[in-house]
Amino acid sequence: MTTPAPYVSEPALLEVRDLRVHFPITRGTVFRRTVGQVHAVDGLSLKLATAETVGLVGESGSGKTTLGRAIVGLLPPTSGTILFRGLPFGTKGAARGHAGRSQLQMVFQDPTASLDPKWRVGASIAEPLRVNHVGTRTERRERVSNLLEVVGLSPGHARRYPHELSGGQRQRVGLARALALNPAVIVADEAVSALDVSIRAQVINLLRQLQDELKLSYLFIAHDLAVVRHLSDRVAVMYLGQIVEQAAAADLYSDARHPYTVSLLSAVPVPDPSVEARRQRIVLPGDPPNPASPPPGCRFHTRCWLRKRLGNPERCAAEEPADQLVSVGHTAACHYAHEVPENVRLSVVGPSAEPAS
Amino acid sequence: MDGRAQAAASDPVLRVRDLSVRFDSRRNVVHAVNGVSFDLEVGGALGLVGESGSGKTVTSLAILRLLPRPAARIVTGEIWLGDRDLIRLSDREMRRLRGKEISLVPQDPLSGLNPVLTVGEQVVETLRAHESIRRREARHRAAELLGTVGIPRPSDQLDRYPHQFSGGMRQRVLIAIALALRPTLLIADEPTTALDVTVQAQVLDLLHELTAQHGTAILLISHDLGIMARMTRRIMVMYAGYVVESAPTVEIFARPGHPYTAGLLQSIPRVADAGRPLTPIAGSPPELDRRPRGCPFAPRCAWALDVCWREMPSLAPMGALSFSGGPRPVGHLLACHNPVAADEVEGGRPLRPGFRPAPPPEDGLVAQETT
Repeated sequence: MTTPAPYVSEPALLEVRDLRVHFPITRGTVFRRTVGQVHAVDGLSLKLATAETVGLVGESGSGKTTLGRAIVGLLPPTSGTILFRGLPFGTKGAARGHAGRSQLQMVFQDPTASLDPKWRVGASIAEPLRVNHVGTRTERRERVSNLLEVVGLSPGHARRYPHELSGGQRQRVGLARALALNPAVIVADEAVSALDVSIRAQVINLLRQLQDELKLSYLFIAHDLAVVRHLSDRVAVMYLGQIVEQAAAADLYSDARHPYTVSLLSAVPVPDPSVEARRQRIVLPGDPPNPASPPPGCRFHTRCWLRKRLGNPERCAAEEPADQLVSVGHTAACHYAHEVPENVRLSVVGPSAEPAS
Repeated sequence: MDGRAQAAASDPVLRVRDLSVRFDSRRNVVHAVNGVSFDLEVGGALGLVGESGSGKTVTSLAILRLLPRPAARIVTGEIWLGDRDLIRLSDREMRRLRGKEISLVPQDPLSGLNPVLTVGEQVVETLRAHESIRRREARHRAAELLGTVGIPRPSDQLDRYPHQFSGGMRQRVLIAIALALRPTLLIADEPTTALDVTVQAQVLDLLHELTAQHGTAILLISHDLGIMARMTRRIMVMYAGYVVESAPTVEIFARPGHPYTAGLLQSIPRVADAGRPLTPIAGSPPELDRRPRGCPFAPRCAWALDVCWREMPSLAPMGALSFSGGPRPVGHLLACHNPVAADEVEGGRPLRPGFRPAPPPEDGLVAQETT
């Protein structure tokens, strides 16, 4: 489905091939039976190179969190392959025991919920080391001090409890724990969304700095398109379990070709009153459809403004669109990807939207 | 007709003067709101920006007289809605006013609605609480209202329960209830934070349209500067319970005067320019259980002077003291001893030769720790 981005010359560090994660919908308490399937991730392919950040955007229910969890092994995939350094993780429970698993770590949205309130911060950070029998007690303690410094806290924080820390500090602890086993890939699921603006910027800068120093790869999952743009080399847009558009960040934001991407970009409030006063918005009607019963054909056709403009062609409702190549490394899964008017593409993020140099 | 343009010059619908709110707990007193004053004109759109704990929600709850009792108390202040001081009203008078003249669109649409009543019953309840109309007529009006907020087939939806609606639809129901009696003031506290971006766009458009149509003034609370740019005419920036800057929206974005405002603007990534590095504000917001000596922002401020550690500046028109050279328009209020010059905004630090932020005084009276 997805063609490899040509500038990724070496084999991708992480590759997801035609991944599906379905959840059964059950009825009844005693005689539980399956009455349907939620297609949370439905035939998705993605590549991540060393020291690269891929941003994953989409609305709630698009399957971006499910994808992230499947990649780090928290959810068994229904089908498909996840390759790490060219070796498959396999499906259905075979995930456990793969030596590469510790190389993939996750940072969660809510640092309050992801840290045990009864544990000192140092114990939480040391847990992955302990579980994997890394080092002696003293060595682990040293490593924890070191990790705390790496994320911009002081070694003294190891003795504190989560409730004694601010939200930003807690998220740094979550990051330190994720870094404990020297991972190659970090899946960051809305990792900065719960933070206040001034603190969020600190954590964003920290993520960038860590990537430079440790050559980390990020799969950065977020609904905030501005944050994703800031951190990502490439961006993939998800809608109902599938990637509908994928491109280098600069291309996606200046030359979006999938009508869903265009409307997402046009819906983001821009912190500049002069832009807000002038820009054109495409407001989508209705809510995203239920992922348990996605619409036939193109999944977006029920809300698509472009289809309406083109006189509601039948093809959208009948035929699932394949990826169209827009330019090098830029694909859009829309039958009419080349029909998005140029003035619409250029106006969505406001008059100052020049392709970034 | 745009109610906003027409009403711009008239008297304020809401005047808040020197409002201070404290929370008492067994161990300490939290200074949540400290001497906040502002006006909101008829049909105006005022934004309240600040991070968690800045006092923006407490301010709005004080206006609605919905502060938790007995923990919170209003220690000083007046809140004038037209010619009535809300602080002096009895609970009964206040109940009559809430929903009719002031209403609220809360952040979380699920907790704003009663889960065991149908949506229709909740709209009807609001109407019948304030107007003596028959149930049947109220139901008819309720259907109409749901129609105006863009709920399809409104008559069929009246008998459904909140959980049967999506988040965006629930927020529409709340907007319908809030605007049912055409209040003069609508308080919207993070009305779209729980919503997806495409649904957020729908809800913001709806709020803007309806308030403009009826000439309803809106007090919008949000941490999202993009939403502020889209929705407001004027912005008040709050920090640690103080209003630190207040100016027309365009002015706040173009020429922020307070180091905190400038810091916020440099902290947000923008869709349109990706390469620009973020300049975060160092440190984190103060704990409010001690009334800080001096400016609460001083520990994080690159512009701090000695006086900042001793004395909280009052909110005053920005004028001759400006370093930028350019004239500041009327209505740009600032509480700062050492404002940011125009050319310093982008770099996020003072560009004056030899300038160093003043260190905390050594007499042990540091306002709060700086970590």
